[in-house]
Amino acid sequence: MAKVKNKRNSGLADKVHNKRKVDGVKKKLNPFEVHINREKIKVLGKKSKHDRGLPGVSRGKAIQKRKETLGTEMKLMNKTNAFIDRRIGEKNNQLSSEDRMIARFAAERARQHSKKDIYNLADDEILTHRGQTLEQIEKFDDPRSSDEDDDEGKKFGGLGDDFVSEGHFGGGILSKTEAKDGAKSHKDLIEQLIAESKKRKAEKQKEKEQTLDLTEKLDSEWKDLQPVVFKRPRIEEKESVIDKLLKQAEKKNEAYDKMMRELRFEKRGTPSDGLKSDEKQAKEERERLEKLEQERLQRMEGDDEVFAPRTQKPTPKHRSADDLDDNFDLEDEKEIMLAYDKDGKPLLPENVLKDYSVPNAKPKFEDGISDTSSDDDADDESEEDEEEEANDSGSEEDDDGEPNQNESLDKKDEKPNKINSTNDKQESTDESDDESDDNEEINDLKEEKGNTLKKQKSIELKKENKSEASKTKEKEVTNIPENKTKETSKANTIDKKEANGILIGDDEDESDDESGDGSDDGSEEDDEIESEKEGVDDLKDLKESEEESADEVDAEEETEKIGSFFDLKLAEGDNLKELLTGKTPSQQSAALQKLIKSYDPGLAVNNKELLSRLFAHMLQYVNDIFTDLKDEGDIIKAFLIFDKLAPHFYDLAQTNKVSTKKFLVELLKEKHDNYLKRPKRIPDLDTLIFFKLVSLIYPTSDFRHPVTTPSLIFMSEILSLSRFGDAFSISRGLFVTSLVLEYTILSKRLVPSAVNFLRGILYLCANTSILNPIQVVPPFKLHRDAKILNLEDDCSKMVVENKMAAKDFALGEIDDDFKIRCLNASMGLLKEFFDYFNEFEAQACLFEPHINLAGRIDLDLYPKKVRSKVSEIVNYMKSALEVKTFTPLTKEQKKVKALRLYEPDFQEVFTGSKSSKLSRENAERARLQTKYKREMKGALREIRRDKAYIASVKIRQKIHGDNMRKDKVKQIYKEASIQQGELNKLKRMK
Amino acid sequence: MAAVQQNLPKMVSAQLRNKANEFLNSRKYANNLADILQMFEAETDNYSPLLLTIEVIFTELLRRGDLIEEIVPLKPVDQSPEAEYTRWLRECYETALARALECVTRGRTNSRLQALVTCCKLLQAEGKHPLESSTGYFFPSVRLKNIFTVLLDSEQSMSAPIARFQEFTEYRDVQQYGLKVLSALAYRKSPTPTYMQNYLELLDKLLLTEIQFENKTKLKNRDNEEKEEKILCGSEDKVPFPYNPGVCRRYANRCWSFACQWPLCAEPRTHRRALLLLVERLMPLLTRPHLATDMLCDSLDAGGPISMLALQGVLELVRRHNINYPDMYDRLYAMFEPEMFATRYKKRLMHLADIFLSSTHLPESLVAAFAKRLSRLALVAAPGDAGALLQLVHNLLLRHPPLKRMLCREPDPTIMSSDPYVMEETCASRSRALGSSLWEVSLLRRHHVPAVCSEAARVLAAASERAQPVSMAPPEDAQLFDAELKKRFKTIEMNFIRPQGMTSPSGERVMQFWELMA
Repeated sequence: MAKVKNKRNSGLADKVHNKRKVDGVKKKLNPFEVHINREKIKVLGKKSKHDRGLPGVSRGKAIQKRKETLGTEMKLMNKTNAFIDRRIGEKNNQLSSEDRMIARFAAERARQHSKKDIYNLADDEILTHRGQTLEQIEKFDDPRSSDEDDDEGKKFGGLGDDFVSEGHFGGGILSKTEAKDGAKSHKDLIEQLIAESKKRKAEKQKEKEQTLDLTEKLDSEWKDLQPVVFKRPRIEEKESVIDKLLKQAEKKNEAYDKMMRELRFEKRGTPSDGLKSDEKQAKEERERLEKLEQERLQRMEGDDEVFAPRTQKPTPKHRSADDLDDNFDLEDEKEIMLAYDKDGKPLLPENVLKDYSVPNAKPKFEDGISDTSSDDDADDESEEDEEEEANDSGSEEDDDGEPNQNESLDKKDEKPNKINSTNDKQESTDESDDESDDNEEINDLKEEKGNTLKKQKSIELKKENKSEASKTKEKEVTNIPENKTKETSKANTIDKKEANGILIGDDEDESDDESGDGSDDGSEEDDEIESEKEGVDDLKDLKESEEESADEVDAEEETEKIGSFFDLKLAEGDNLKELLTGKTPSQQSAALQKLIKSYDPGLAVNNKELLSRLFAHMLQYVNDIFTDLKDEGDIIKAFLIFDKLAPHFYDLAQTNKVSTKKFLVELLKEKHDNYLKRPKRIPDLDTLIFFKLVSLIYPTSDFRHPVTTPSLIFMSEILSLSRFGDAFSISRGLFVTSLVLEYTILSKRLVPSAVNFLRGILYLCANTSILNPIQVVPPFKLHRDAKILNLEDDCSKMVVENKMAAKDFALGEIDDDFKIRCLNASMGLLKEFFDYFNEFEAQACLFEPHINLAGRIDLDLYPKKVRSKVSEIVNYMKSALEVKTFTPLTKEQKKVKALRLYEPDFQEVFTGSKSSKLSRENAERARLQTKYKREMKGALREIRRDKAYIASVKIRQKIHGDNMRKDKVKQIYKEASIQQGELNKLKRMK
Repeated sequence: MAAVQQNLPKMVSAQLRNKANEFLNSRKYANNLADILQMFEAETDNYSPLLLTIEVIFTELLRRGDLIEEIVPLKPVDQSPEAEYTRWLRECYETALARALECVTRGRTNSRLQALVTCCKLLQAEGKHPLESSTGYFFPSVRLKNIFTVLLDSEQSMSAPIARFQEFTEYRDVQQYGLKVLSALAYRKSPTPTYMQNYLELLDKLLLTEIQFENKTKLKNRDNEEKEEKILCGSEDKVPFPYNPGVCRRYANRCWSFACQWPLCAEPRTHRRALLLLVERLMPLLTRPHLATDMLCDSLDAGGPISMLALQGVLELVRRHNINYPDMYDRLYAMFEPEMFATRYKKRLMHLADIFLSSTHLPESLVAAFAKRLSRLALVAAPGDAGALLQLVHNLLLRHPPLKRMLCREPDPTIMSSDPYVMEETCASRSRALGSSLWEVSLLRRHHVPAVCSEAARVLAAASERAQPVSMAPPEDAQLFDAELKKRFKTIEMNFIRPQGMTSPSGERVMQFWELMA
């Protein structure tokens, strides 16, 4: 069937259907028409709809139906015009005329009822009364215009009755005579009539005007009276006085009111999480840490995927057969996770970024600083170089050690002074608190709460300090974690500044300045140097003035310094040095904290970049304090400073992860290059300390990490390439080994070089003979440096510390004490490493040489404590290896996938329907699908039959047309032959 | 000190240049030459300016042909001043050459090298413009001989000059004549070790450019060859130098046969040098390589790096010359000791072992022993070496499928109380490695370097995979450290606990063993 062309045909089928219902008077069945369907299987109790049918009847019905629908449609096909009766119910036989009216009225109402205002019920509907709208009726017109009403009652245009009776229709004949007395002519009569009517009209007019005037007058009078009636007399009286007063008062209170209103209408604080109790907070914190720990563990196991994909190919994504080669570009299936670092720059490699337009994506840098950073880097590098030069020159002069020594001496002298001023301390804490409040971030509630406790603690500490002697004091203060001693340290800072700043500050600063200037000379213009020098001079002046007024000036100076810290890019490093030199570790920490806070990234845009530069300078500073350490005191001091600085490193790294990582990596690279120039010589502390720093900032357990992995490799290179033959190298080697241990403590990774190093140390300790050697692994060599750690004298009475100490770094000659502690420490380390691999079979072959070597050590010579410890560890290892079992490696058992088998489908409750097992949605879906299928089938059949019908109609039409044509032709022939006949007749006639 | 020194040579060289120019421009200043030659005696340290000057002067003179003495046979010596002058010039030339040669042994390294270069340049000039006018190709062998005599010093190591001489050995004629001269010089009864060292180094340098076998060159790219060959003393108008690889080969053989008579193996350094030379350069050239077998066998027994080097030679002999060597594999097995990591030739050893063990006819037990030993070594090796060793093990597993039983013992494995493998056993096939498993590799899965870790995983996965054995990676120059720095990371993870000081919150160990702040 063709597409429905006309809308008017669309409802046809329904109409016909309805009609059929109407005359649904059942005819009697013709028994010959009935066809009985044979039942194949008889099911008891089943009602069959299709047991009998009336094929003829139903076919007739169907044809009739088609005739009415398709047939009419065909008739109307390709015809544009049509008459349509759109009167409602006109064709419906069922409806009575009244019903029809009602239906039409309803339709009309419905039509009027627009959707625009469904709630406005009666507006657009005009109610009428007697054909007039209510509006019209209810209008209160001006009385003037209603004069017609008056006339209405009167007949004949207001003429008098006698006149009418006399004058109209020629008047009465009977009365005519009587009237003749007056002897009025007809003309007179008419004139009288006109005059009378005119007079009456004039009277009426006059009367009307009078009433009008009266009403108007009344109206105006009423208007005058109105205020008198309605106004309250009170107000009239008091208005003048009170109003004024009120207004004045209002004016006065305006501000207050305004404020009050503002307050009232101001948005109250948004509802937020209620204050958490300590427990809850602690719990949350714990949960957070647990989560992070989980992540860390994941990373540690980490890149197992690195090699997993090799064996298993990625499963191809399903593509349906329809979209094969349909020339559409498939979307890139690789999903990338777009993540941003803290600065809001996306953390993606640039090649990926190129493809996607990511907001904030800076073109080149993988780190967070802005585009200018390249310049900075160059500057920094040059600066570093300069500084290094300065250092070099310093080391050449060999005077470097002296100021430091002086300093320490001075410190010792000054210590008693510190104790004196507890009162000052109290004040100063207050002051510093105030100061810091401005800058301070909003601390955690917890911390604040704790602060009061800490204060108490610190006070107690101070008391203790008072009583105690000088040297132990510092130890204690510094040993307590920094957070706790925040207050004390602040207090101390200022005091110590008093002490140190004056005496040492000058010397040191001068030397520093000199070196700084010297380095600047090469690159900077003279002007700048001069200005800088002036600045320095100013600072010096300030320092001198400190002697008189201690605290405030100092604080001011510091803030000043901080304020101008980043003013000159080149001077930053020097600024930092200036800021930090001549202070105790805790003072330095406090100063740094202040500095960092005052450049909090939230405060200004480029603070982040500044802080990242500060990070670089701090690295340089740490490098400087760890270079060329000659004696124990310096080393301890350096470590103390580092201890205090470490948290700040962490903070800075947190604020700008990417650039700090870059700095650290560059530093490591530089150190590594330096090391590779002389791989036999172990790097000094100025390199090793950064490994420690890395372990503080970054997780060391990750399978792969941009910073920790290279540094671990670096360390293992150190341990496998350097030569260990003297105290210098052995102490540092042990330090590196313990760092390696720290790096791998969580991940329990194998670092062969560390294990080999311990083997070497044991070899050096052992009493080896040439005859029966035990193998060692390079860098150690058989018979080279052997026995340098071998104890020859009986030291069993010696009292020895448990741990290695800072002094070992400065040790020149190997002494017995060192030997003993070396053995002690390396056995401790060895045990830790040993425990890493408890579940591995190869542990045995890895550690057997160690045990053998340990057996060669003459333990009798060692102090009792050490002896027992060493033998305990050796026994532990031996017993662990003895009970070790060796399970041969097996392939990981793969689970065999069972073949799919057909199983009887038991249903607990048999419902008969297949879909009983399905969920509701699926059942619905299945139902609809079957319905659809059925309908589809039916529709197809219908269409087939429609086609057949159309074909039959067409052929009939064709036949009909042909017949008509034939008839017509016949007719023509007939007529023509008649004509011919006649013609012939005529001819014959002639 | 440096500033003063810098100015002086500048002045001196400027003066010298002036003098040389004057001398070359007119004969009036003939005495300048004498002066310059005199100055050699005054100088003690840095001869460079003087050497450059005489180089300039005599190259120019040779080019002009001023030194050519016309000798007419059967006539008395020409006594004309012209002839006298020429004769004087010749004398000066000889003196200058002698001076220059002396300078090779004296003074600063720079000036020594300069002296050598000057000698060679003069040699080149003389080759191009010979003293006796001739039309054919001429190579001043005598000069080369003089140079070699100096280079083969008995007392002083000439490594630096010989290394510099390398730039001249690229020339084919220098190579050919050099070998000839050297073979003539070589005969000597009891040379000092230094002499041997120098000799070997020189020979090494002379053989640096590969000497093609005749049959190969003739057939193949002959044209290209001729274009590529560089001739030191040739020039366009002369007959081209007749390069003959056969001759070169013969002379090289002669050189070696002389060297063979010396006690090469007395000193390890010389020994190494000789072996390296033999293995790297000479083996393909020798006419009777099996004569070197004795030496190689002795070296193989020496142990350490020497035996590693000898191994390559032996391999060559075994592969190319049908030599049967007993206990070859046991010797190879013995070389895999922790000490090997300290030697320079470990990469070579691993490469050789890969070749040796690539034969599929080897007994399982032997290969298993190797696999076990290699993985044991990988446990203590530096990361780079460990990776290479694991690669080797991987190849073994792929080439010898029966070894897979060391990775997956199929039906219910019995738990053992100890490792059946005997590390100390010297005989590889008796070490009972087949009964063992590669536990070491599974431990290496926990290596701290990710690359090694993944390599170990790959070895463990070798049990189930079928892949081509990978050829041993060429010695990588890129450091592991740098490679790790180049890796890209999506995120930079940080510690989640803020450190309060130097002690790290998660598992501090340094402070456990060190008392740093007191």
